Amino acid sequence: MSLFMEDPAHFSKSRLKSELVAHNVVLPPVKSRKEIYVDLHLKHIAQKNAGDFSSDDEDQENDLAAKEEDAEILVQSCLTDDDLKAVLLKHGVKAGPIVASTRALYENKLRRLQQSEGQGHVNGVEKGVLYSDSEEEEEQGEQEDGESGSEGAKEEIDELSNQAQQGSSQNGDFVYPQCFLLSSRMRAHATRKWEPIPKRNSRNGIKSSQQIPVGITKASSVDQRSGLGSGFPSGTHSAVSNGGSSISPQQSFSITEMVQEMEKRKSLFSCPNTERELNGSNVQEHWSRFNRPDTPIVDTMKNQSPYYTPKESPYKMKPSQEPVKDTIKEMFLNMEASPTGICATRRRPIKGAAGRPVQYIYPDSPTTIERREVERRLVPIHIQILVFFIVACLLYIIYVCVEENSFNPFVALLDSPGQGSESEEGLVLQAETQVTPVISRQE
Amino acid sequence: MSTTSQKHRDFVGEPMGDKSVTSLSGIGEILGKKLEQQGFDKAYVVLGQFLLLKKDSEMFSEWLKDASGANSRQAGSCSQCLREWCDAFL
Repeated sequence: MSLFMEDPAHFSKSRLKSELVAHNVVLPPVKSRKEIYVDLHLKHIAQKNAGDFSSDDEDQENDLAAKEEDAEILVQSCLTDDDLKAVLLKHGVKAGPIVASTRALYENKLRRLQQSEGQGHVNGVEKGVLYSDSEEEEEQGEQEDGESGSEGAKEEIDELSNQAQQGSSQNGDFVYPQCFLLSSRMRAHATRKWEPIPKRNSRNGIKSSQQIPVGITKASSVDQRSGLGSGFPSGTHSAVSNGGSSISPQQSFSITEMVQEMEKRKSLFSCPNTERELNGSNVQEHWSRFNRPDTPIVDTMKNQSPYYTPKESPYKMKPSQEPVKDTIKEMFLNMEASPTGICATRRRPIKGAAGRPVQYIYPDSPTTIERREVERRLVPIHIQILVFFIVACLLYIIYVCVEENSFNPFVALLDSPGQGSESEEGLVLQAETQVTPVISRQE
Repeated sequence: MSTTSQKHRDFVGEPMGDKSVTSLSGIGEILGKKLEQQGFDKAYVVLGQFLLLKKDSEMFSEWLKDASGANSRQAGSCSQCLREWCDAFL
């Protein structure tokens, strides 16, 4: 676990340098060799750490009580800049850039914040260190929810987890908790808590199951400590009482023990809530396991499975989750539990789609309305044809009339000059006739 | 802080340019010397720290107290004058 504690020689030079800076150690000249850095590191940092931390896993369960304070401070100083920033953020402080000149300030601030939050929240740091941002909401939720654990147990567990945290955050050396096989139900509960650990420290491989107790106590400690001043009464009692009774920090754990605990817890908890048991709750449990990344859905799942795990049950009292709950319940009402944990449901028809009467007629689009309006004003087609024929007939009659009467007005007009000439001729003729009688008279 | 000192008004009234750290309101001879020893020889270096702390007067005061041993009033005065300078010139 504490590879890096013991062997600074494995570090890169830059890392050594930053470590030294973080510990306010005056750096050697720029060109000095790595050995010098290593020496400095050994002298200033390793000593300090050795004093404060048991450097190996086995020692975690031992000297727990003594070093909370030191641990806290050291945890801070060993946080990376990003981690420090994240932790501060979790305390509601939006930290600026954390550089050499500001780091000390932010560390102070964090320390003050932790102190002001009191003993019960000392492990805020731990959560900050161990749980990634994505998990944070969930953690907060739990923190708000179940609380009331027996104080003694809580303290012990605090210490233990604190120690664990020291180890983990200090050494950056973690175990994948998933390396052991849990029962499926257990996993639904436990992996939720554990995942953040490997997430943050994924560079280290599986090491041993030595780390398991840490994980467990961490989970349980979160259970118990979570939610100081929570307003959600139901579910919390069983949650904490079970949690408190189940795990005593000083003893070492085995997987089977853990599983048993989980089962016990579950059965205990399910008793008072059987009437609330939805037929989908088992499935939802499984479901939540498969959909853990999206937290809100998981949460709503929890709403419906009262005996899912004690810890989560308080969620069902949470008003903010209510709106989502209905739809989810509706969706998964018909699901049945399957022993394998894999569930499949028949695809359900979408409401209003095939197989159901259409319950709602969509309003017509503007264009159809317009068209209808136009159609209403339009004359029916047979009337149109009728009108066409009438008009055609009328035109033909007019044409025929014009043909017939064409001589009357037009011919008259056309002929009027001809008539005029005719009259002239007539006059001439008349004149001639007049002349001729004259002539004839003369003759 | 209802009234501001002459030094404060002088500092806020114009760009700081290359003014020394002692031209900051609240930073006198002694504090200035301490700051200079830590590399904060110019007012703009202190301003840099102020900006690094996201113009958080509280944090800056904290830092100034740590770094130079200023008292609360001095630190408050300095941070106020830097903040007003930022409001005016940034």
